[in-house]
Amino acid sequence: MAKKIMVVDDDPDIVEYLVSIFSGKGYDTCSANGGEAALEVLEREHPDLLTLDLEMPDEWGPRLYRKFSQKPEFKELPVVVISGLAGIHLAIRRAVATVNKPFDPDQVLAIVEGAIGKP
Amino acid sequence: MRKKVLLVDDEPGIRKVVGITLADLGYEVLEAVSGDEALAIFRREKPPLVLTDIRMPGMDGLELLKHIKAENPETEVILVTGHGDLDMAVQGLKLEACDFISKPVNSEMLEIALKRAMDKIVMRQRMQNYMENLEFMVNEQTQHMVELERQCAAQEAVDGLTKAMGGLAGEVAGEFAMFNALPCLVSIQDRDQRILSVNQLYRERLGDRVGQPGFAIYAGAAGEGLDSPVARTLRTGQGQRSREGLFGPDETLSAVTVHTAPIHSADGQVNLVLEILVEAGEVQRLQDELHTTRQRYQQLFDEAPCFITVQDRNLRIQAANSRFRQEFGPATGGLCYQVYCGAERPCFGCPILKTFEDGCSHQCELTVRGKNGDPVNVVIWTAAIRNAAGEIEGVMEMATDITELSRMQDHLASLGMLIASLSHGIKGLLTALDGGVYKVNAGFRSGDAAMVQTGWSKVTELVGRIKGMVLDILFYAKKRELQLRQMSAADMARQVVEAVAPKAEHLGVVLTTEISPDLGDFSVDEVVLSAAMVNILENAVDACVEDKAKASHTVVFRARPDSSGVFFEIEDNGCGMQPETLSRLFSVFFSTKGSRGTGLGLFIAKKAVDQHGGRIGAVSEPGQGSAFRIWIPRSR
Repeated sequence: MAKKIMVVDDDPDIVEYLVSIFSGKGYDTCSANGGEAALEVLEREHPDLLTLDLEMPDEWGPRLYRKFSQKPEFKELPVVVISGLAGIHLAIRRAVATVNKPFDPDQVLAIVEGAIGKP
Repeated sequence: MRKKVLLVDDEPGIRKVVGITLADLGYEVLEAVSGDEALAIFRREKPPLVLTDIRMPGMDGLELLKHIKAENPETEVILVTGHGDLDMAVQGLKLEACDFISKPVNSEMLEIALKRAMDKIVMRQRMQNYMENLEFMVNEQTQHMVELERQCAAQEAVDGLTKAMGGLAGEVAGEFAMFNALPCLVSIQDRDQRILSVNQLYRERLGDRVGQPGFAIYAGAAGEGLDSPVARTLRTGQGQRSREGLFGPDETLSAVTVHTAPIHSADGQVNLVLEILVEAGEVQRLQDELHTTRQRYQQLFDEAPCFITVQDRNLRIQAANSRFRQEFGPATGGLCYQVYCGAERPCFGCPILKTFEDGCSHQCELTVRGKNGDPVNVVIWTAAIRNAAGEIEGVMEMATDITELSRMQDHLASLGMLIASLSHGIKGLLTALDGGVYKVNAGFRSGDAAMVQTGWSKVTELVGRIKGMVLDILFYAKKRELQLRQMSAADMARQVVEAVAPKAEHLGVVLTTEISPDLGDFSVDEVVLSAAMVNILENAVDACVEDKAKASHTVVFRARPDSSGVFFEIEDNGCGMQPETLSRLFSVFFSTKGSRGTGLGLFIAKKAVDQHGGRIGAVSEPGQGSAFRIWIPRSR
């Protein structure tokens, strides 16, 4: 079974974009467009890696991160922050990497592959 | 000395990181974990600068800001805002926060915000110094004037002197230091009219005549000794006042006014006579000097670059300078708060009342209204005016117009806020645009025409959105004068509908129009006003798309004339708005569309309608739909 990547972003266009990048490379994907939905999807899908936007209308990325990283099963889940906010590299210290929007798809794929390997 | 700054945040991590940055910048950092603790530290340490998180359990940042500003309005407060807190930041700015920075805190932004706050503190300090100097100058001039007036009232001087002399009669032989300071010729003569003592000026002008008869200096009958002023005083026991001719040492004749006063001994007999001569020329000179001083004082009062009034305990204006009269109309006799603000009662925290209470100077910033109704931002500085007994009998208020300064600050602050809120939105749009391009490329690679098609329509839509956003920003950043033109209201209505029709059709929303045939012409800036209406109409379509509850959606665009203008109504049966949303609808940077909205559309629409002298309003029922109503006068 292919490794699964979960995309969290409030903009459906960006979710679609990231999902098509990952699935084009052969990864399984799932997605959520807000904080509450994200927790549900996370429980259900148990992804291998998560990409996280920082600023969403109903939830602030770092707080979402704190919420799920307190649960033992998600404590080690690799997170890649993808956001348009300035100075984001400080927001989540344990993140695998932080990527600024707009991003280079190859760079994102390289980061993902570095963290969890090929699909 | 290092400047103190109070750092308030409930998260220890942020306190630590920001604290280190602040210490690096040379500040002495006081930390507090909550609003309550912050307030306690604030009261004890009085830091000029406070940096506080907005969201905290218990007393939040805005509450803390209110307390601090109420206790010491000169403290500058910088808010640290988290995600989605822009509304609160705007609220904070309205509560006179000096600035805000967003989380995560970037040290460069922090440094800029701190510098701006310090600049503001320094500027206020300078203004205060300047006002204090001005006050000092006015005081000095007033004292000088009072002194001259005293000197001039020679009669009073004689009376006062006589009284003082009465008690001292026995010890006359010595020199009187007081004499020497008087600007007139003074001598004391005994019952034989022999001079016992003269003052410095007398000696300089007429020589040292001690021991000689006092009347020898006069021309005519007074020089005979029988009818001299002193002789008359001795005869009647009363003070005398007369004009006499006087021989100077070089035998020139000049006119003098002579005052005499009897000095009684303990047994009630006139023992000595005080004689005071004031040269007519000297009186004239003193009067001239008084006149010039008064004029200078008046000039200073009138021409000082601020509005000056003197008010009594009831805040009734006793005097106002010409600048005040120009800006606020003839005010003397009126009540301060009526003339200044058109209010029914004194302003909250009135600095004048405070000065009456404690005698100290007070300062505040207020927005008042000029006689043409325009708001004027002023910095007010007060000073107590005391009478001779030291009681406060009036308060002088100096108000400096800082409207232009405030306007620029507001504009800069909101531009800063605009950029903060937009940069995130624009980055999102660009990323989504990349997504569209990616899709188009992938479609071409795989020869999938349908994928190219969907990718391309995404690109087109996003380019349109970016364009709209950029135009909004340009409109906001630029001050634009209206270019009014007489045109048919029906033409404008049709243009607006045509601009939105394709979008409505594409999204499956029915757009109908009810335009009266007799709308007539009106004088408007076509570009500005039609953009505003297109914006509202597009919002109506969006609200329909947002609503998933109803099967079909309609937007109605109505236009009908009334006696003095044209009335437009845009009604939809979309998702509607909560009362809270409705109340903030036209405020800047308020958006219900998340990263898709700039929060500028309706703000700009309202500005456009305001500029035309029109009115705009909205009603809405959640789940039922909304209606926007706009009225535009036929001519501005």
